[in-house]
Amino acid sequence: MAQPPSRREFLWTAASTVVAATTRGGRPQPSTVTVGVVIARLQEKLGLPWREGSIDGLKAGTPDAIVTGIATTVMATADVLRRAAASGRNLVFTQEPTFFNAAEDGANRAADGVYLAKKALVDERHLVVWRFSEHWNARKPNESVGALGNALGWSAYRMADGEAVYKIPETRLDALIQHVRTRLHLRGGLRWLGRPDMPVRTVLLSPGTTDLPSTVARMPRADVLIAGEPREWEAVPYVLDAGPQKAIVSVGRIVSLEPGAGACAAWIRSFTPELSVDAMAVGDPYWSAS
Amino acid sequence: MTAQDVVTRIQQKLAADGIAWRTTTVDTFKAGRPDGAVRGIATTGMATFDLLRRASAAGRNFVITHEPTFYNHLDQTEALASDPTYLAKLRFIEDQGMIVWRFHDHAHTLRPDPLVVGSARTLGLTPFASPTERGIYVVPQTTLRALAADVARRVGGHFIRVCGDPEMKVTRIAMGPGYGVPALTQAVDVSIGGEAPESGGHAEYAMDAQALGRPRGVILLGHMMSEDWGMREVADWLRAFVTEVPVEWIAAGEPFGRRT
Repeated sequence: MAQPPSRREFLWTAASTVVAATTRGGRPQPSTVTVGVVIARLQEKLGLPWREGSIDGLKAGTPDAIVTGIATTVMATADVLRRAAASGRNLVFTQEPTFFNAAEDGANRAADGVYLAKKALVDERHLVVWRFSEHWNARKPNESVGALGNALGWSAYRMADGEAVYKIPETRLDALIQHVRTRLHLRGGLRWLGRPDMPVRTVLLSPGTTDLPSTVARMPRADVLIAGEPREWEAVPYVLDAGPQKAIVSVGRIVSLEPGAGACAAWIRSFTPELSVDAMAVGDPYWSAS
Repeated sequence: MTAQDVVTRIQQKLAADGIAWRTTTVDTFKAGRPDGAVRGIATTGMATFDLLRRASAAGRNFVITHEPTFYNHLDQTEALASDPTYLAKLRFIEDQGMIVWRFHDHAHTLRPDPLVVGSARTLGLTPFASPTERGIYVVPQTTLRALAADVARRVGGHFIRVCGDPEMKVTRIAMGPGYGVPALTQAVDVSIGGEAPESGGHAEYAMDAQALGRPRGVILLGHMMSEDWGMREVADWLRAFVTEVPVEWIAAGEPFGRRT
């Protein structure tokens, strides 16, 4: 049985990002920038038309709030929201929903204790939660792919024409699994299939939703699929059926997108110089019972 | 006896039980000839290539699968038309005289749902089924750590994922098969199922519940570690009214951890 979670493991990235924020900015001046101003800059810098009816947008708080600092995250969990508030960041950009469904209404949880406590946390700390997923993931080349590649130490290996295929120094599957586990701070969320001594030269990075069409289109050029959230009736059996020359290393949706939240912080920082902007890690949600 | 004869008999059995055959359903032939002779039937959670090889070797040329054969819910194959994996699998089915049919939508309409029965039986939850709440099991108080260890031992999975405080107390369990992992609320302590998205009220709810002092947990078995067992129930059910050919349950097995 793998070790159950420790708070220390959860928080390692958070601690380092907070230190970075307080040492870089020197003594911050009080901000007069509103949420609305930050969003206007974000939409202007995006380089893409804003989509009607998008899931992106304000999920909690008001657009006229003065921004004291910005946190980006894959998911605005209660823990992330508390850390954001504690470090003086009242504007949180999240890729995933905050209240357990895309409509952000808590589904059937109108009287549910966790839903109500999370809403109360947001209100009491005067936090503003803004979902930024659809437009972030529409940027070309895909930011989450590049950031995941960088986190794995592979920034030099992205194939020019390969979209998300990386040609890495030859290794073996078991060594690759260990590398991924270490670099992405994985616990029970790491799952894999394939021959441990299989030689690996090419890797397809598919963070977030690892859908079938993009897997079928790109997997012929890759030995290993590094997946975020592959469906177990889609990409998983597809790679399994492909035989002993192919393998999957699945890391989970949140973990796969975590480096992208760091890239998102860097991008937002580029147009909000008067504000402190940092990413807050969620961490691997799972421990292993096996 | 042809594969179509078997399917017709399943449809007649359902009709006799008051279950109408749906006009729109994924329960259709996926490969092979419906008029092909059946030498033996294999039921399984998923007709993976590996499963098809084992079924063929066992003389079970008619495979009744709960999940898709060609990697998407509707088994649409246009986008796979030149894919080497798809073509090799299709050729194997045809060369071996195999026939694949899916039994998904209507399996879930049986009462009790054999996929639920199979999961509950394998997990040892059957005696604890709530008499009043469907899908709820009330067990003697345990911890999430102990429950997860027991579950992992029973299903024999390599990659059983758990989210939540290992020391939290558990009595009320919600269990649903496959992708039907019950979304968490305060009404249950733990939800158990196959696979679930990380933004649908499962792992992230458990993380928030722990952080907000109302701990809840989720145990994800993997899709096949959840639904393979139910197809054993389907094999037993079939055997009562398909007596001409052998009917055998052959597990697809957990894909993760496979070393081939």
